[in-house]
Amino acid sequence: MSKLETFAVTRRTLLLNGGRLGGAAMLAGLGLSGRLGVAAAADAVTLDFPFLWTGPEGDALLKVVDTFNTSQSGIKVNGVSNPDQQRQLAAMSGSKGFDISDSFGGNVGAWASKGILEPLDDRIKKDNYDLTDFVPAALDQQKYDGKLYALPIAAITTALLYNEALLTEAGIAGPPKTTSELADAIAKLTKVDSNGNITQLGLNQPSLSDFAFLFGGEWANDKGEPTPDNPGNIAALNFWVDTVVKKYGVDQIKKFQSGFGEYASPQNPFYTGKVAMTIDGAWQIQFIKEYAPQLKWGAGMLPYVDDKPELAGVSPLTTGMFFIPRNSKHSDEAWTFLKYLVDKPAMLDFTLALANLPARLSLLDDPKVTALPNVDVWLEALRSPNLKSFPNASWAAEYQNELTSSLDAVTNLKKTPEEAMAELAKKMKQIAG
Amino acid sequence: MAAPARIRRRSSASPVFVGLLFASPWIIGFLIFQLYPILASAYYSFTDFNLFQSPTWVGLENYRALFQDDRFFKGLFNTLYMTVIGVPLGLVLALLTALALNTPSRLQPLYRSIVYLPTIVPIVAATYLWRWILNAQYGYMNLWLGRLGLPQPLWQEDALWTKPALILIGLWMIGGTTIIYLAALQEVPRSYYEAAEIDGAGWWSKFWNITLPAISPVTLFQLVIGIIASLQYFTQAYLFAQTRLNTASGGPGDSLLMYGLYLFQNAFVFLKMGYASAMAWILFLISLAITLVVLRLSKYWVYYEGE
Repeated sequence: MSKLETFAVTRRTLLLNGGRLGGAAMLAGLGLSGRLGVAAAADAVTLDFPFLWTGPEGDALLKVVDTFNTSQSGIKVNGVSNPDQQRQLAAMSGSKGFDISDSFGGNVGAWASKGILEPLDDRIKKDNYDLTDFVPAALDQQKYDGKLYALPIAAITTALLYNEALLTEAGIAGPPKTTSELADAIAKLTKVDSNGNITQLGLNQPSLSDFAFLFGGEWANDKGEPTPDNPGNIAALNFWVDTVVKKYGVDQIKKFQSGFGEYASPQNPFYTGKVAMTIDGAWQIQFIKEYAPQLKWGAGMLPYVDDKPELAGVSPLTTGMFFIPRNSKHSDEAWTFLKYLVDKPAMLDFTLALANLPARLSLLDDPKVTALPNVDVWLEALRSPNLKSFPNASWAAEYQNELTSSLDAVTNLKKTPEEAMAELAKKMKQIAG
Repeated sequence: MAAPARIRRRSSASPVFVGLLFASPWIIGFLIFQLYPILASAYYSFTDFNLFQSPTWVGLENYRALFQDDRFFKGLFNTLYMTVIGVPLGLVLALLTALALNTPSRLQPLYRSIVYLPTIVPIVAATYLWRWILNAQYGYMNLWLGRLGLPQPLWQEDALWTKPALILIGLWMIGGTTIIYLAALQEVPRSYYEAAEIDGAGWWSKFWNITLPAISPVTLFQLVIGIIASLQYFTQAYLFAQTRLNTASGGPGDSLLMYGLYLFQNAFVFLKMGYASAMAWILFLISLAITLVVLRLSKYWVYYEGE
């Protein structure tokens, strides 16, 4: 019965749509491709727009797509959430793929170098498209070898989030500003029971490749060559090893971490008070509202190493972006839609969905953005001259993978930071040529 | 009138052609989806190919680079570890289980179902389930080990324990092997045992001198299949090493970086198809070599009826 009903509704809907579209009615009524019907009837170009975003961000994008579709008649965008990067890559390698999609700025180098992405420079010049409103560092991530391959929609900086109650309990007045204050806070906020088991960790283990930036570390030099053995990187790793790993024990830390709940759930260790501080992005504003509304929390700028005050405001930067693949069949229409996506109204709707930071300067002081609790810390980081990124190179994925292995050896005390990074430097010379 | 005409036409066609025609769905599928990709991967293994640009010929460069790649050897080591320890252990346990299930009991069908049950659980679901059972802090495994006063390993975090954890999951899923052994056991002629009993043979003597040789062809079959499957080990390691952002990971200390996992990373994460194709061919040659050695050695321990 219910199956029949569903069929009837679908059929009626198809027929109604078909009727509105005249010639397409028969196609739709016969159950043939509705998309074909729409395109044929209205002379509209259909753009395939699969995107990796899911959840609230995916829903927000679908709303943007709807608004776009009703705002004009020449282009019909077919948006669908498809969070599978393998499939995305496979589609771009064939002769028939999609027309526009999203990714992270960190992929631009790897993809552009393989000819996957369409450069946007000629279109920008032809349209006299204004790029000055984009956050400069966010726009820079979309460039490879002097050409622009994507436009950013969201900018991701990080901040030090802290549990107010736990800091007060430990007698710490506010978030640490320098790394020596951070070491102090970690010592005061980490608790171990009589059996040597950790019951509370001062700082959740951050991404150590990002953590290196707080010590003036860099993963590539000005010439774009990998520099894993940069002294700042070594200093950061030594800080983590000395302040946490050696002090509390590799196995004890792992055992404690194995009891952490899912990241996007009320069992996130920061929400349950298992860790007192964590380094994370602005979406935590929305996450905490949803998963731990009772939590009293604050956020501070990331601390910087004591002897380099010029690093104040330091933060890693990543970006969410949109691009047109080389094998797009409708790249002109995709460009029109791309501009719409990163235009102010769409960007604001999308970024507010999960408290991301917009990638346009003029939106950074929009009241809807600044109304988010504690967002000023992430915004300040975004305006800082000390925004750092992992190198956007053709070999970035391999570098990241090798680095993960090396960092693993360091945090397991299998190798000293000096040894591990020297070995990695040698290996990267082979990979990066 | 029409029927005899049709028969005449059919009989005029050559039987070979008709046979090929009937087999053509498979033949065409084989040529397009198996033979062509196999040959193409052999060609790609001598090229630098990233899926997006035309492959460029590099000769033996991929093979040369592989032998200088320590992660290649790490992957090979991890895979051989799983094969050398996991496969024999699985066979022994499956045989013991089959022997136990072969003893007459009223509840035998129930026991057999219980042993086979884990095999029908989808492998992804089963692996996630085991991730929880083996959770160092909250898992049942460590809870019981603790109650028994035994050490509680960090199954998923300690490089020493990750592979034993996977072998443990593998042992849980020996139902298929057990069922095949059970069938083999029931094929062993009763008369052999009766003759041995008359000669005064005990339980062990009967097992060692009758059962084991009689089922040795089945052991050989399961050994070869097990080795080939183990050399392609992927899913459980991939799921065990999975991180929050689902980046390709080799687990703690690359202890879960199986050969197949590293091949996957090269192909679909680093987009080095040529390199990955070279890895696939080396794996093929290794599988071939091991299988040939096992088959060659089998004449010393496998007995076929009528020989």
